[in-house]
Parts: sequence; structure tokens; C-alpha cells
Amino acid sequence: MIGFDKAGKRFGTLDAVKEFSMTIHDKEILGLLGPNGAGKTTLMLMMGTVYRPTSGKISVNGLDVVHHPNDVRKMIGIAFQDPRVDGILGAFDVLNWHLKMTTNLDKVEREDRVEKVLRAVDLWDARNKRTWLMSGGMRKKVEDCKVLAQRPKIAVFDEPTAFLDVPSRLLMWKMIRELRDEGSTVIVATNMMDEAERLSDRVAIVNLGKLVAIDTPEQLKGKTKGGEVLELTVGNGQEFPRECLTQFSEVQDVNQENNKVTVYLSGGRLLLPKIVETLTNRGVKIDSVHLKEVTLEDVFLNYTGHRLE
Amino acid sequence: MSSSTTQVTDSSELSGQSTSRLVLQMARRDIATLFRTPWIIISRSLAFIIQLFVFAYLISGLVVKFPGFFPYYAVGSVVSVVASISFIIGYDIFEEAEEGLLDYLLTLPIPRREFIIGRALGGAIRAMIYTIPMFAIVAVLENFSNPLSLLAAVLDLFLLAFGVTGLSITVAVSVRSANRFDVVLALLELAVSRASTALYPLAFMPSYVAALAPFSPVTFAADSTRAALSGSSLDILGLAGLLAFVAIFLGLGATFYFRRLEGGVYA
Repeated sequence: MIGFDKAGKRFGTLDAVKEFSMTIHDKEILGLLGPNGAGKTTLMLMMGTVYRPTSGKISVNGLDVVHHPNDVRKMIGIAFQDPRVDGILGAFDVLNWHLKMTTNLDKVEREDRVEKVLRAVDLWDARNKRTWLMSGGMRKKVEDCKVLAQRPKIAVFDEPTAFLDVPSRLLMWKMIRELRDEGSTVIVATNMMDEAERLSDRVAIVNLGKLVAIDTPEQLKGKTKGGEVLELTVGNGQEFPRECLTQFSEVQDVNQENNKVTVYLSGGRLLLPKIVETLTNRGVKIDSVHLKEVTLEDVFLNYTGHRLE
Repeated sequence: MSSSTTQVTDSSELSGQSTSRLVLQMARRDIATLFRTPWIIISRSLAFIIQLFVFAYLISGLVVKFPGFFPYYAVGSVVSVVASISFIIGYDIFEEAEEGLLDYLLTLPIPRREFIIGRALGGAIRAMIYTIPMFAIVAVLENFSNPLSLLAAVLDLFLLAFGVTGLSITVAVSVRSANRFDVVLALLELAVSRASTALYPLAFMPSYVAALAPFSPVTFAADSTRAALSGSSLDILGLAGLLAFVAIFLGLGATFYFRRLEGGVYA
């Protein structure tokens, strides 16, 4: 189990992470969902003992990361957002050296594991190609493969499918799920809604260095006001008469970002004609209307007040 | 990769991982990068040969006040090259910090102090591997054949390399601006190599250089190496100076490393 207890990290005058409290259960996939700069990477690097927290406490399987950094590091493997690989080495050498540093496998076992993981992600034929000559997607695969081959107790993936094509994304998700099924606790930082929703057992929404909400994707969606979302695009530069909509008892909340208006409501099908009529009567030009079930994106918008771009 | 073929790595499984093995792995990583670029060794060796057989030959003919300048210069050149190559590890570490590769290395299960020792050791061995062909040329040329003398000289060179890598790492983790880092390291390299007895004797130096030269680690190494190769008694002072140099800068490198990098300076 991993515990963050009011953890904070300050860089100069900037609070990258503030009063962050959260528990990650064993053998779950936790999705850390948040925009760039939300503090996801800082959280993971504090947990991985690269940065020391400036306040609060972080423990990994009962061990404090500040007082027992070496023991904590033995349990963790981190795949970074931007591949951190020696450009002069080939994929095989990168992974082989990583396993030499992080496992006690003998040469045969190590090379066998490297071969299996490289074959699985279709990089075996390019195993000796220097990584700085590889495409962004190939380099990203090599980065993810470090942790997939290491198979640590706690596996951390930062944007694991960035730069990957669709088949490779699906494959990576499958391999991450297998890692969880074999007993690893997996943390996936992402700013992709579908990745967080489809891969995670639970999702933690992080914004401005703070934990905003944490639950299963279904629970998060269920908790969102109304259960339905009406998306309106209105004329540019128009002031939106919010009170026109909040007068309806079915409308739970209204959120506006530029010309995009998001209405959280229940009974949307019956209410939609009334809403359109009311707004039209108030002179609001409606360019488009879209009624849908709540998605994780709506949850994020609802909690943070802005979209995850 | 399926559950039937792999196991999750347990922390207890890793507890048997000896620290010395990890230090050696860190060192091997730095050495491996050298062998990936063998043309650098070849080109620098050729440059050294040209320097020796053109420049040193020419100058030794011109220097009349100091007979035997050629062997003096030849040994000193090897010492200078060791110092110069050992400085490279600092550039590597600075670049790794800028590129984020250092963050990755810091997640590996190796204690920080051993990490620094591994990096310094790797840098030092790399400098030795790089210099051995040049040292061999000088040894053949000057007919240095006593194995004990050669061994003592190699030890001197290695201690110098180990200390300079510590110094270089200290600078790399202390200076944050890339431009300032380049300038500081270049000046430092110039100071320890040029204000030393590696390439010219103390008696011929201008007074302001002669005042500094006795304290340069390159002087310790150059004097000690020449003493070893000439078969005279062991240069205890030079060796002690080199050992102190190694201890001070490895310690400083590790201390700065803890304070600066783990505070998230490069974030």
C-alpha cells in the first residue's frame, strides 16, 4: 500500500504539490488524471525517492520514502513520460542494463526476459538500433519496456501510450493489465480520458498539485450531478444567461468556457425543448446542441472548472 | 509476456543485490559509452602521436637549457591527457541532468554515495582505457620496462583520474547554467593542467604560475609518475597529495549531489 499524507513539494516559490493525501491499494491500477503541470510527475518522483517531499509524508509498503529511500527504490520501477534512455545504446542493451541494476536475474534469465518483452512490442528486429535513431513511438516503447521487463512490486507509467499508434496503445494497456494481474501495483499518470477510464481500477483527479477526487471511473461518473450532460455551443461574445437554466429543478449545474456551455442535468430529453425555447427567447444564438451520458471528461470539468486539453 | 513466464520482482529478492556489484554496473555503463565511439579513441591517439613526434620533437630541439625535455614532455602529456579525459564525466552528468536521464538513474536501487563512486570510477577507468595506448607508446619509446615502475605509474594516473572525475562531478552538480558550467570547467581544466609540472618544469615557469603549480593534482601525478618510471624512490608526497585530492572531491561531489539534485534543482 502506498500512502500520501499531506505531502507537498515546493520548487522555489512554486508549490508543485500541496497537502496531497491519498492511498493506493495493492494490486490495483490507479490512474492519475490531470492536465500537464498538475503535479502528477512530481508526485511519482517523490514516491520514487528522486525528489524529497518538502512537507508531509509518503510511505511505500510501510516504509517512509525519506528515511528508507534505498528500500523503497528496490520496489519501484518508473517509465518516464519522455523516454530516458541512453541514445548511444540499442534497445536490448538499455533493457539488459536496466535489469542488471534492478533485478537479481542471471544472464540467461535476464536476456530471456528482455527478448520476450521486445518481441511482444515488436521491437526485437530493431534491438540493436541506437535509440536516438528510433522514432518517438519506438523510444516510448523502450521506455515502457524497462518497467514491463523489470516487473517491480510498484510499477509507475507516466503517459505510457504517448506517441503510440492505436494498436500499440491497446497492446500496452494489455501488458499493463497483465502486470497488475501478476501482482504489481500500477500507477498510470495520464491526461487521456479514455486511457484513464479503460485502464484504471480507480482514477485520481489531480489539478494544481491537489487531489480533487478519487474513485472508480463508474463511481466518479455516478456522483456527477444529474447523470446527463447537455453541451451547447452558443454565439461568440454573447453573455450567457445562466439563471435561465438554473430555474429548472432538473438542472444541477451550468459551466461556461468561452462559447461552450455544459449543463449537468437529469431528464434531459424532456427538458431539452424547453431549454432551447427559453434561450432562444432570451436572444441566445445556439450553434449546436448535444445531449449525452456523463463521461470522465465531464467529471473532470465538473470538479476542476476546465477541460482537460 | 504472460503470468506463466514471469514473476513480479520482490524487494526481498533484491536485498541480495550487493552494492559493490551495483557500483561496478554504474561504472560499466560509463565505460560502455566509450567503446560505442571507438573512433574518438583512435582520432585522439593519432592527435597525441602527432603532438609527440612533431611538436615535442621540435620543441625539445629548441630547448637548450633543459636536456632531456622530450621524455619529460612525453610523460607529462600522458598525465595531461588523463586529466583532460577525466573531466568529461562532468559534461556527461550535466547533460544527463538537463535531458532528464539523471532522474531515471536516481530511481535505480543504488545508494547515492555508491552512485557517485560508481560514476567517478567509471569516468576514471574510461580515462585510463583511453590513455593506455598513449602510455604504451611513451613506454616503448622511452624504454620503460620495469613492471613495478609501470604499475606504480599506472596507479598514479588512476588516482589522478579518480580525483578529477570527483572534481568534475562536483562542478557539474554545483553550477546550473550550461554556459557558466562550460566556462568553469574549461578554466578549471586549464588551471590544473597548465599550472602544473606536467608539460614544463617548475624552474622555468613564471613566478605567478610557479606559486600555484605545486598544489595542482596534475603536478602530484606528473612528479610521482616520473619518479616511478625513472625507478627512483616512491614519491610519497605526490601519492599522499593524490589520495587527499581523491578523498576531498569524491566527498564534495557526493555532498553537493545530495543537496542539489534531490532538492529538485533540475526539475
